[in-house]
Amino acid sequence: MASILHSLQHAHAAYRGRQGRRVPALTVVPSDPERSPRPEDDWAGLLCAVAERQDHEAFARLFTHFAPRIKRHLMLGGSPEILAEELAQEALVAVWRKAAMFDPLQAAASTWIFTIARNLRVDLLRRRQGIEPLDAPFDFDMIEADEPAADERLHAARLSERVRSALVQLSPEHQQVLRLSYFDEEPHSRIAVELGIPLGTVKSRVRLAVAQLRRLLEG
Amino acid sequence: MTMDIRHHPEDDLLLALSAGSLDTGSRLVLYSHLELCAHCRERMRALDVLGGVLLAEIEPAPLAEDALARTLTRIDKLDVTAVRMLKVSAPPPLPEGARWPRALAHCSATPWRWIGPGMRWSRVSVPEAPDANVFLLRIAAAKYLPQHTHRGLEFTQVLYGRFHDGRALFGPGDFDAADAEVNHQPVVQDGSECICLASLDGRLHFDGAIARFFGSLVGM
Repeated sequence: MASILHSLQHAHAAYRGRQGRRVPALTVVPSDPERSPRPEDDWAGLLCAVAERQDHEAFARLFTHFAPRIKRHLMLGGSPEILAEELAQEALVAVWRKAAMFDPLQAAASTWIFTIARNLRVDLLRRRQGIEPLDAPFDFDMIEADEPAADERLHAARLSERVRSALVQLSPEHQQVLRLSYFDEEPHSRIAVELGIPLGTVKSRVRLAVAQLRRLLEG
Repeated sequence: MTMDIRHHPEDDLLLALSAGSLDTGSRLVLYSHLELCAHCRERMRALDVLGGVLLAEIEPAPLAEDALARTLTRIDKLDVTAVRMLKVSAPPPLPEGARWPRALAHCSATPWRWIGPGMRWSRVSVPEAPDANVFLLRIAAAKYLPQHTHRGLEFTQVLYGRFHDGRALFGPGDFDAADAEVNHQPVVQDGSECICLASLDGRLHFDGAIARFFGSLVGM
């Protein structure tokens, strides 16, 4: 009897112990970020795990999701596959290196990783123009302007979810304009061809697509 | 700093900036605007978020089998103590109230050079883009820039003073984009000189002798 009671108390104590402990971010994220209803929260948790404890498993999961997409992004932007592979790895090295600078209140994880990939792409464009990058290429992250207080802005991850749902409400044509703007080597001439419109009218189409997106975000 | 900023870059420019498809000079002028303009920073923020959303959705490209292992090896070799500091060079003297944009903190600029009555300029050197055509213009009160058109894009960010280009009045913090369709003649307003940061993607076309001299300076 005493031993049963003892083991019950023991189990209870263990239960309370579990409840009372702060749950590490990693234990609450589903194993597959793709299926999560809020992938931003998962990615943010993984980034924080990398920043706080150099978590290799968390990094591997970010790598698995983002590196192949950054590679595709660079290939669509006109870079040969070997270079795209190299730069995708470089981008994830930068994610590791800068993880401590990631602030989930300031930026969604996908936004933050996108800007890293974008800056690498800018370097790439310069290299293709025959201009050698410097040893220490200039980094716009380092001149980030003063931002309004966090509570005045929409929470970064929520903004990302809203952009995601606004995007699918856009007309297929507007979606295409936005995708090509981000992921084509010569966005304006490609948009002109795909939409069958004169090059001179592409600018106003792009503005229209962005205006439509902003309208949905405000609504 | 609060400013009465009335002229902002259009969304197609901010989108191109977000996508990373602009040349360095254009980016520097746009970043100089963003650091003063909270309105445009919020607009830009939504576009960067869009870029992230689109990136997360893009069809993945297969990686090399050892890609992760190679990346982890590169991470192991990182020198964590290497913290890069930006060198800040002394900007040319600006009047009180005009601030050297932080986007140019790593750039150097020549001293003011005379290019015509009431007109001076300073070439900005961008370390990571020696070919970038970025310069400062300093025009005295009531003077005007010669009539000109552009083959490419000209971006202007007003750092100090005001000018009117026949279309609208531009003041501190204002941004302007002029392309080949625009033939304008900016006139500086009475009472104060005007200093602008400008980038040129392509050559500037002036009429007149001083203008041609100036055009040969900035036209690469």
